[in-house]
Parts: sequence; C-alpha cells; structure tokens
Amino acid sequence: MNKTIPQIIELIQQQNPLHAKKLKRNLKSLSEDNVVHYQLFVDKYETYLKNIDKNLDFAVDSYLKMISDFVLEQLRFIETGKYSNTSFEEVNNRVYNNPKVMEYFMNGLLLSQVLWKHHYLIYSFFTKNFPTYTKNIKNYLEIGGGHGLFISHAIDVLPVGTKFSLLDISPTSIEISKNFIGKSNVNYILENIFNFEINQKYDFITMGEVLEHVENPVELLVKLKNLLNDLGTIFITTPTNAPSIDHIYLFSNAEEIRSIIDAAGLTVVDDIKAYAEDLPEEKAIELKITMMYGCFLRKQ
Amino acid sequence: MQAQEIITKVTDIFKYVLDDDTIVLCETTTATDIEEWDSLSHIQLIGAIEKQFKIKFTAPEIRGFKNVGDICNTIHRKLS
Repeated sequence: MNKTIPQIIELIQQQNPLHAKKLKRNLKSLSEDNVVHYQLFVDKYETYLKNIDKNLDFAVDSYLKMISDFVLEQLRFIETGKYSNTSFEEVNNRVYNNPKVMEYFMNGLLLSQVLWKHHYLIYSFFTKNFPTYTKNIKNYLEIGGGHGLFISHAIDVLPVGTKFSLLDISPTSIEISKNFIGKSNVNYILENIFNFEINQKYDFITMGEVLEHVENPVELLVKLKNLLNDLGTIFITTPTNAPSIDHIYLFSNAEEIRSIIDAAGLTVVDDIKAYAEDLPEEKAIELKITMMYGCFLRKQ
Repeated sequence: MQAQEIITKVTDIFKYVLDDDTIVLCETTTATDIEEWDSLSHIQLIGAIEKQFKIKFTAPEIRGFKNVGDICNTIHRKLS
C-alpha cells in the first residue's frame, strides 16, 4: 500500500485516536482488488496536494474539521430526526458562499473518498461498471460533486476526442476539481444546474452527492433527464440518514431514492448500497447508519 | 463542579453507554484504550454527556477531543 495512507492515518491518530481506530478497521476489510485500485487514487491525490501547494497536514486538518462538523450534525439528527438545514438559501449562506468553510469542507470530502470505505466502494462500483456504458459516449457531463473524482476516471478511460464538461455552483469546488483532474480539455461551467440551458444533449451524466443538497430532487432528476440523449446513461450517488452542514433533503432509505427516480421518469439499471459502518444491514437500518446509494439510470 | 466529580460522572456515562462496569477512565484515556469506544458509540457518549451536564458542544470543541481529559476540561469550562 502507498505509504501515504499510513502517514495520513498516523497524523489522524495523533489528533483523533477514535477516528483513526475506525479507519484502520475499515481499511483492513478492503479486498486485494480494491487495494490496487485504491493506490491509483492515492497517487492522484498526492499530485493534487502538490498542485495546490499543500501537504498532508493541511489535508488532515481539513478532514478533521469536517469530521467534527459531522459529529455535531449527527448529534442533532439523533435528537430531532431532521437535518439542521431546510433550504438551499440557508446552505448557500452557511457553506457555498463561505470560502473558509468550503476550503476545509471540500478538501475534507476529497480525502474522505480515500479514507471512507463506503465512499471507496461507490467509486469502485462506478469504475468497475462504467465500461458497460461507454459505447458511443461523445459528450460527458459531470454535475457538482465538488472534486471531479468520477470525471477524472472517465477522462482516463474514454477515447481522445470525447468532450467533457463539469458544472458546479461553487467557484471553490471548480478550483478543487481543476487541480484534482489536472491538465485536460474539460469545459468548466460555473452555474446552478437549474439555470443551465444548452442546445445539446449528453451521452453520460454523472452527479455525485447532489440530490440531498436540493429542496426538490425530482425536479433536479427531471432536469438531468432532459439533458440526456435517449440512449444515454446517468450515474448518481446520494446518501440516506446523512446529516451534514450542507444537506437539505433527508432520504431515510433506498426505497425513497428509487421512488423519486421513478417519479422523474428514469429507471435504475444497476445499483449499490454501501453503509458507513460494518454492521448487518438490518442493524444498520435500525440504527439509521448512513448509507451511500449509487446507481446507473436510463430513461424509462 | 470539581474536576473529580466531572470525571466520575463521565465514567458512569461510559459504563452505562458501553455496558461495561469495569471501565476505568483517567485524563489520558483514549479510544485506543477502550475497545467498545468506537465511532458509533462515540455519538451516544457525547449525546449522553450533553444531557447529563445540560450543555451543548460546538464543532471546534468536538474537534479538540483527543482523550477523556479534553472532554472533561471542556465540560468544566462550559459549566464555569
């Protein structure tokens, strides 16, 4: 394993032994195949840190600030059964238009793709299944996500000549994505997806962890459907029971997510559920453990 | 509230939440020392501590919890 991961966990251990304990346990359970894939991601992450002139101390500091936000949000979620935000305006003021918060939060989230088993499982699901859908992709669009993780993989595997676009509402996220993706011909679009109008359709659209950030997820999925070619594919991820400083819409289970997908006129072709804790599914559901749901979608 | 009283009450909370009467805490105790103290039980522990002492922690305070001593010092500061 790349020495970076043990270094990162050691830095975390010094400041948060509890969290380091969880990370060590989860990483032990990754399969050999996952570990190889994992290292490729870590190499990219190291390059990203160099691009932004930062080091592991910055990465860990950002990550642990984000973790403490999550713990607090989790506490309040257990008390109230609700997310602390109820509107996009609240989150926009609290997070997206707050560069200090965006810097640590988005960099913390990027590191979580490396350290959190359920994030890694989703990424692994995407990369393993993406080849099924890559025939005839001429135009690829990535929406939100904040780091460019999925599009970065698509750039690596799709043929030269494919057109890539990345749309995000946050200038900070665009900058982070640019630095993670590195040199490429990606068309970066700073825009709210609901205001995005273009005279073309896309063959593949990725939208990772955005649905839970909007007040009307059906409306958002309909927007994606209208941007998609008839034979195109969408890949989305969204969590259940995931209190966060920037989450608005609470999905309580996978059925609720599938229900809004259906309401938007889309159909699930393949999906995955990845829980944040290693527990039997029944127990995870009972304890409302965060579950990351990922799926490939087509038009009905 | 005196420091000793705080650590005694926190110990009682740990014993109850983690269902282990043998737990002994000191200021330097960390999650590495107590097997049942994990990310899941941590939320329950912090919630129970907030309830017991009638306080609410902030994110920066939670960030600073490296060991039991940090938790107790924060409780003491918030009660003062």
